[in-house]
Amino acid sequence: MKGDIKKIRETMTSSIFEVFEKMFYIFLEPLDIRYDGYDIQTAISFKGTISGHVMILFSKEIARAMFQNMLGVEDDNIARQDMEDCSKEAINMVCGNFLRRLYDTQVFNLSMPTFTEYKSENLELDDDICRMDFDSDNGKIGVMMKI
Amino acid sequence: MSFNILIVDDSRSMCAVIEKIVSISGFKMDHCFKAGNGREALNILAKEWVDVIISDINMPEMNGLEFLGELKKDSLLRAIPVIVISTEGSEERIQSVFDLGAKDFIKKPFLPEEIKKVLYEVIGVSNEGGYKEDKGDDDIFDF
Repeated sequence: MKGDIKKIRETMTSSIFEVFEKMFYIFLEPLDIRYDGYDIQTAISFKGTISGHVMILFSKEIARAMFQNMLGVEDDNIARQDMEDCSKEAINMVCGNFLRRLYDTQVFNLSMPTFTEYKSENLELDDDICRMDFDSDNGKIGVMMKI
Repeated sequence: MSFNILIVDDSRSMCAVIEKIVSISGFKMDHCFKAGNGREALNILAKEWVDVIISDINMPEMNGLEFLGELKKDSLLRAIPVIVISTEGSEERIQSVFDLGAKDFIKKPFLPEEIKKVLYEVIGVSNEGGYKEDKGDDDIFDF
């Protein structure tokens, strides 16, 4: 799988772009440097031809913007529950889109997404983890994946 | 004539987005019921009649496939057209959804136009919210 890391990164980037542009009207640009100022994190696991997990890290600003853009609301007082719900939906769509792009005939079972405060010390970094960061006018996201 | 819709998705924001798309598409909606999983949806269907169901797959307690299976077992409920909207869009998964009786499938992420188009096709109404003219019948009775 390590040999396919370039393909995996490109596929995940395409999935991230499609989901954020279509559902949240947010246009992301890859960041060349690693960013660590995130506030919340969501995670999902998948099992099938390949198994692994994906984690998306969000700044509060982008989580708020996702909800506002998705529902067309301007109120800045977005409840934490709504940000959580929107973030979970985002990772569900990103993971499903990513797997569909890689294996369009195979069935994968996705776990229910989880949502927690971001804690960088809880993230295990090793060679199997693919890490990418993205920036936008609405804030930053980070994507981590282990297969 | 207006229609009752049931949206089944554990994401409140996704339910709200779908309801908003349907309401601004010009579709004549009488009532929009919402359920967080298949079990809740069946409880609603035990009390209310709906004209079309829009359902996710990946949900807690009773997922979309199990929900479709329950609908298929019921002689009355199986007549309600179901549109599945899901991130899980492999060929095999889509086929299993159709085998369980779904009328159409939309992959997430989607554009609002996709929901509008499929909804009108599945329920058999024109873009103005009225029933489609059946050209075949017109030919038969056009003396």
